[in-house]
Amino acid sequence: MEAENGEGQVQVHLKTKQEHYAVPDVPYAIEGSVATNELNIFLNALLQKQGSDGVDFDFLVFDEYLRGRLCDHLREKAISFEDAIEIEYVERFPAPEPQDCLLHDDWVSAVKARDKWILTGCYDNTINIWTNKGKHKLTIPGHTAPIKAVDWISLDEQYGRFVSSSQDQTAMLWQWNIDSNAVECISVCKGHERGVDSVSVSPDGQRFATGSWDTMLKLWSAELEDSAEGTSKRAKESGVRTPKLTLQGHRESISAVQWIDGQTLLTGSWDHTLKVWDLNLEGIKTEISTNKSIFDASYSSLNKLIVTASADKNLRLYDSRTNQGSVVRNTYLGHNAWVQAVMWSTTEEFLFVSGAYDNQNKLWDCRSPKAPLYDLLGHGEKVLDIDWSNPKYIVSGGSDNTVRVFKSKKANVEHMETK
Amino acid sequence: MTKKQATKRKVKDAKPTKEQESVSEQSEQEEDEDLLQAVKDPGEDSTDDEGIDQEYQSDSSEDLEFESDEEGNYLGVKENNAEESEEDGEEEEDEEGDSSEEESEDNAETAKSEEKPSGSKAVQEPKKLIGEITPRDPSKPEYADSDTSDEEDIRNTVGNIPMHWYDEYKHIGYDWDAKKIVKPPKGDQIDDFLRKIEDPNFWRTVKDPQTGQEVLLTDEDIALIKRVNSARIPNPEHNEYEPWIEWFTSEVERMPIKNVPDHKRSFLPSVSEKKKVSRMVHALKMGWMKTTEEVERAKQQKRGPKFYMLWETDTGREHMRRIHDPVSAPKRDLPGHAESYNPPPEYLFDEKETKQWLKLKDEPHKRKLHFMPQKFKSLREVPAYSRYLRERFLRCLDLYLCPRAKRVKLNIDAEYLIPKLPSPRDLQPFPTVESLVYRGHTDLVRSVSVEPKGEYIVSGSDDKTVKIWEIATGRCIRTIETDDVVRCVAWCPNAKLSIIAVATGSRLLLVNPKVGDKLIIKKTDDLLAEAPSQDVIENERIKTAVQWSTAEAAEQEKGVRVVITHFKPIRQVTWHGRGDYLATVMPEGANRSALIHQLSKRRSQIPFSKSKGLIQCVLFHPVKPCFFVATQHNIRIYDLVKQELIKKLLTNSKWISGMSIHPKGDNLLVSTYDKKMLWFDLDLSTKPYQTMRLHRNAVRSVAFHLRYPLFASGSDDQAVIVSHGMVYNDLLQNPLIVPLKKLQTHEKRDEFGVLDVNWHPVQPWIFSTGADCTIRLYT
Repeated sequence: MEAENGEGQVQVHLKTKQEHYAVPDVPYAIEGSVATNELNIFLNALLQKQGSDGVDFDFLVFDEYLRGRLCDHLREKAISFEDAIEIEYVERFPAPEPQDCLLHDDWVSAVKARDKWILTGCYDNTINIWTNKGKHKLTIPGHTAPIKAVDWISLDEQYGRFVSSSQDQTAMLWQWNIDSNAVECISVCKGHERGVDSVSVSPDGQRFATGSWDTMLKLWSAELEDSAEGTSKRAKESGVRTPKLTLQGHRESISAVQWIDGQTLLTGSWDHTLKVWDLNLEGIKTEISTNKSIFDASYSSLNKLIVTASADKNLRLYDSRTNQGSVVRNTYLGHNAWVQAVMWSTTEEFLFVSGAYDNQNKLWDCRSPKAPLYDLLGHGEKVLDIDWSNPKYIVSGGSDNTVRVFKSKKANVEHMETK
Repeated sequence: MTKKQATKRKVKDAKPTKEQESVSEQSEQEEDEDLLQAVKDPGEDSTDDEGIDQEYQSDSSEDLEFESDEEGNYLGVKENNAEESEEDGEEEEDEEGDSSEEESEDNAETAKSEEKPSGSKAVQEPKKLIGEITPRDPSKPEYADSDTSDEEDIRNTVGNIPMHWYDEYKHIGYDWDAKKIVKPPKGDQIDDFLRKIEDPNFWRTVKDPQTGQEVLLTDEDIALIKRVNSARIPNPEHNEYEPWIEWFTSEVERMPIKNVPDHKRSFLPSVSEKKKVSRMVHALKMGWMKTTEEVERAKQQKRGPKFYMLWETDTGREHMRRIHDPVSAPKRDLPGHAESYNPPPEYLFDEKETKQWLKLKDEPHKRKLHFMPQKFKSLREVPAYSRYLRERFLRCLDLYLCPRAKRVKLNIDAEYLIPKLPSPRDLQPFPTVESLVYRGHTDLVRSVSVEPKGEYIVSGSDDKTVKIWEIATGRCIRTIETDDVVRCVAWCPNAKLSIIAVATGSRLLLVNPKVGDKLIIKKTDDLLAEAPSQDVIENERIKTAVQWSTAEAAEQEKGVRVVITHFKPIRQVTWHGRGDYLATVMPEGANRSALIHQLSKRRSQIPFSKSKGLIQCVLFHPVKPCFFVATQHNIRIYDLVKQELIKKLLTNSKWISGMSIHPKGDNLLVSTYDKKMLWFDLDLSTKPYQTMRLHRNAVRSVAFHLRYPLFASGSDDQAVIVSHGMVYNDLLQNPLIVPLKKLQTHEKRDEFGVLDVNWHPVQPWIFSTGADCTIRLYT
């Protein structure tokens, strides 16, 4: 009866993977009604870190974040109060801080950050380059229709190369001379029959893939010189590039493309499927059928999972390694509108960000399906794209004509060193 | 009595033994008594007893005779006596007749034994069976094993039944192993006689009526029988004369406990009782009164076998003898305290209540009480009920007007009538939430249409603009201004063409939206640029109604390619599935209100020469060359090839607002301004298969989804209702219709809610346009 009210005591083991926060593995009897705050105080006391400057921890009980009282959590998971419960604690991920707001002339539909540069694609048919300090560097006109996606190919001290795709059915390859701040269109990739919605550059920077409204997935060379055979001289001179490979399989618009490795591609489509393509076989390796149109999909190389965004407010977690039907590993409910963009962290195994039409970005831990870690507020309108490829910055663009930059405070570098 | 019997008796009597004579002499005095006894206890005269008696008799054992002589009431002897006395009586008769026949006594005996079967059979046992007789061991006490009758050694399992039931069978019953107990073979009389002569124990052999076997009685048994017969206590050890123990004193106490002398009436017989008794005796004699037994018997007879009411309940309607099927007065509630002539004060009305009661004079049924409680000091002061006459009169009126025809009332649970529908959860996917709002129009949005590929939508509004939107982001890509209110827009369903038909005022614009595939845009432009040569001279009637023209430069800039000018405002435009033909409706056009245009030839036709009513909307069949025309009340289906009317659908509604055909072409959905939606199964009948009243206000528009089994309706109550409408390939199975979701996010403006609904061609998404200047997407 006591346990029912959450008044009973529970035996817990405290564990962590961060060794410098380890406490002796002794069972503690604590009240069932404790929440994260009390556990934090308790743990800090154990670590002899007094006062408010103690480290904040999050607690994982059976691989899920503790969000309410411990007893409620246990009851929900149908775990006996009499078992010794293992609580894993991790240092709480610090809240990202809004850093900058980059004003554009029109809706920003594509953002991509690399090192200190932020590349944005705009509905006024221009591409913009910004520094991460919020300084506008360059506006590149060239497309004849709104830009839908951008991606960096390479970036060094002197040159930056990137690709942009647009509703004008083309993707464009650009080379940007950083010093002279001049941009040159290397080639125009023509071949799609409708707007190109997504673009992704291969990890080695040799190729890029585009997904379009004409349901095709096309592969292009990202080299400076198109070495493909059979390209006519005239085409070479005009800088028009044709696809190296066209893959047909989706029945509707491809909304997301991502390279898994050098020879594998992940695509998400409005036809409710996720497909993994093997480029050696030039065919589909795995297909995951879902029951919602997928607007964005992201694959994490750290935990090999796929997270998808769809119109029903939910983010869903899939595992591409299981190919038996639709296996939703988890559902993340927190947005209250159409979710347009999602992306995994490149350094944190469990974290991902999402942007939705409820004007919010959210930072999620995949072990906390009920509530996001943080809401990143700032946009006044729909969020159209979000990017976290630079671990230090979460960048999002929206239909309020702005790009918001959130600084992720966690010293990732330091953390990686400790690893 | 037959003569033969009589002679037998005589024969028997002819040679009586001396002993018997003496007995008869003695018994003659007791004759009356014995006879009386015999009559008194007829039940005792069972065959078994008789058998035993007869044995004794036939044995003619002297001891027994003496015994009976001593006691005088020994049953066997007694009967014998009775018989003899009877025979004495008969002797006289015999004397009258001849009496020379003399036969042996034994013969007579055997003849007698034949008459009384069960008793005398023992005597006739053949010898071989005697070996089986097991005399009881006298040394062993009778009930040594057990003294309960339950454990009696019962060899025959037939139970306590009259054994003569087995007379006609060869067996006498069944033993414990359910095997038949065979009757011992019957010996004839000579055998019997021989046994009697030879067997010294014959007299003490009795037959077990249960098994039919013979049992040899032991000396103890015989002693016991003798004691019983002589009415002595069977147990010889029992001392009848035990010394008397005086438990209670017999002496009269000197000082009684109660010293009241006995009342006189305690020793005088009561006169009244005597009278009563004599009266009762008289009544009994006269037969007026019956004894308790008689009454009991009469009752039993009267009652007969008892039956119970099985089906009828006590609460059933009572039957009236003369009036068939009476109309009983409605049952009133039992009177409460307020109805009392002297109610508790809290039941009396105060001023406010009185006022309220009086105020409801015109609608008395709304009153809480139909009377005003009144207080009287005593029942005597209560006046006559003033409304008595009136209420009687009303009751009479009720009865007078009561329908005599019996109405059969069906007792059906309301739940039972609701068809078993699948749960909406199982019918996913269907739109459930509002996902996007497309804002930009400044006046009510009349119409929306989706690009066949599903990337863009076009909307037409009263603010004289047409807008093209990107579905996924809600971005308005292009705005095309026109000269008049845009009543209807329709995207060409052919994905190889990039044309939108826009009905604005009395002009129909064919617009190239310039979105999507550039190649197709260009091809469409080329196609629409040049007018094909007109080889047919057009009818004057058509010419006055429609003029085709290429758009002017200013309009070309906006995307308008061809303008078809009608002579009246256009209300609706709809495409044929191939994208070459399109039909327009001008409600004011009288007999030219419906037109069919052919794009490739730039030609128009007027399919109907006569107007059958005010045409509301038209529709092309998705597969067949059929044309649906909805007037205000009915829908006519025409064959365009044969140019004839195929069918007329009767909607039974006042005003049709729109219709939509199932992509397979066999089902038609019609919306009406009188809040109804009608589902017609065209193969089934010309009447609606189902009428749905889901909306609370006029239904403006309905639409079928091209791929999913879904349809939706938009109404002036601002709601879009999504329903599941499954059509089966099996012609015998009726379509399944399940309302799924009510989506009510549009705002109300001047009595208008949702004006148009349209499905996304591939996704289970629906677009609705409203009077609140928005288009909404539900996913």
